[in-house]
Amino acid sequence: MGIMMFRKLLTIFFVTFIFGLTLAEEPNEVYPFEDSIHEERFQSLLNELRCPKCQGSNLAGSNAPIAIDLKREVYRLVKLGKTEKEVKTYLVDRYGNFIVYDPPFESDTYALWLAPLIIFLITFSVILFRRFSN
Amino acid sequence: MKNLLNLLPLIAFVILIAVLYSFLTQDNDQLESVLVDQSVPEFRLPSLENPEIAISKSNINKLPAVINVWATWCIACKVEHPFLMKLKEESIVTVYGLNYKDNRTKALDLLKKDGNPFELSIFDEYGKLAIDLGVYGAPETFFIDKKGIIRERHVGVLTTKVWKEKFERFLNGDNDV
Repeated sequence: MGIMMFRKLLTIFFVTFIFGLTLAEEPNEVYPFEDSIHEERFQSLLNELRCPKCQGSNLAGSNAPIAIDLKREVYRLVKLGKTEKEVKTYLVDRYGNFIVYDPPFESDTYALWLAPLIIFLITFSVILFRRFSN
Repeated sequence: MKNLLNLLPLIAFVILIAVLYSFLTQDNDQLESVLVDQSVPEFRLPSLENPEIAISKSNINKLPAVINVWATWCIACKVEHPFLMKLKEESIVTVYGLNYKDNRTKALDLLKKDGNPFELSIFDEYGKLAIDLGVYGAPETFFIDKKGIIRERHVGVLTTKVWKEKFERFLNGDNDV
């Protein structure tokens, strides 16, 4: 196989690869808005809401059937003129605090919010203790 | 004392491993259920058998009951199907079906072939009622007590074991709020 052939193959490979990537990024559904404030609100909600099925990603980054349904629901609510807070409350009422990336500070989530602070305090006091006991 | 301090990172590490290990065996598919102890949400959706007939909350009236979220594309639903048949045949509880994001013909074919455990079948093509119930996959099963209150929810295959552990105690309605 000549070097030209190899180059050709390589080009074909990369072109397919890059083309494949753009296809993968293509959104499955289009959500048209007349109002740009609504559009921004919709986009920011998709980034801040979690997909309940694929627990590692947000709604924007997921095409799981449930994520598509929830996107459609968020779209509907935003078009109705609901505020960001109202949409979040609507989903938290159904899916729980899990669905938002910044859960409220309440009894269920104390550990979540306070753990970093406690770990920091422990580390800090250990360091101090070692400094002074030397 | 100083030795103990030097051991601190090791102790912290062991605790961390223990905590993480305990999470391993936990069923982390089960998200918190906001709807437990709430009434069944209002809805109006067509019946699976006949698109002309609408089913609403008032039709869920043979209580206690379970609402089972299923679909023909869901393999685990096939696995739990015999258990739902058993619930019906032994008249343990009324079973209502919520056919979730499915194909009507396929769903009806399956019920004809494998048996129909459902008192009523709701056809939720776009997952509307499913969103109101906080459903994120199939199968999911909700226990509705005599007063129409959701008392328990299970995500995943319903088995005799799950039934005994999670659902059975609500049958007699003596766990009133």
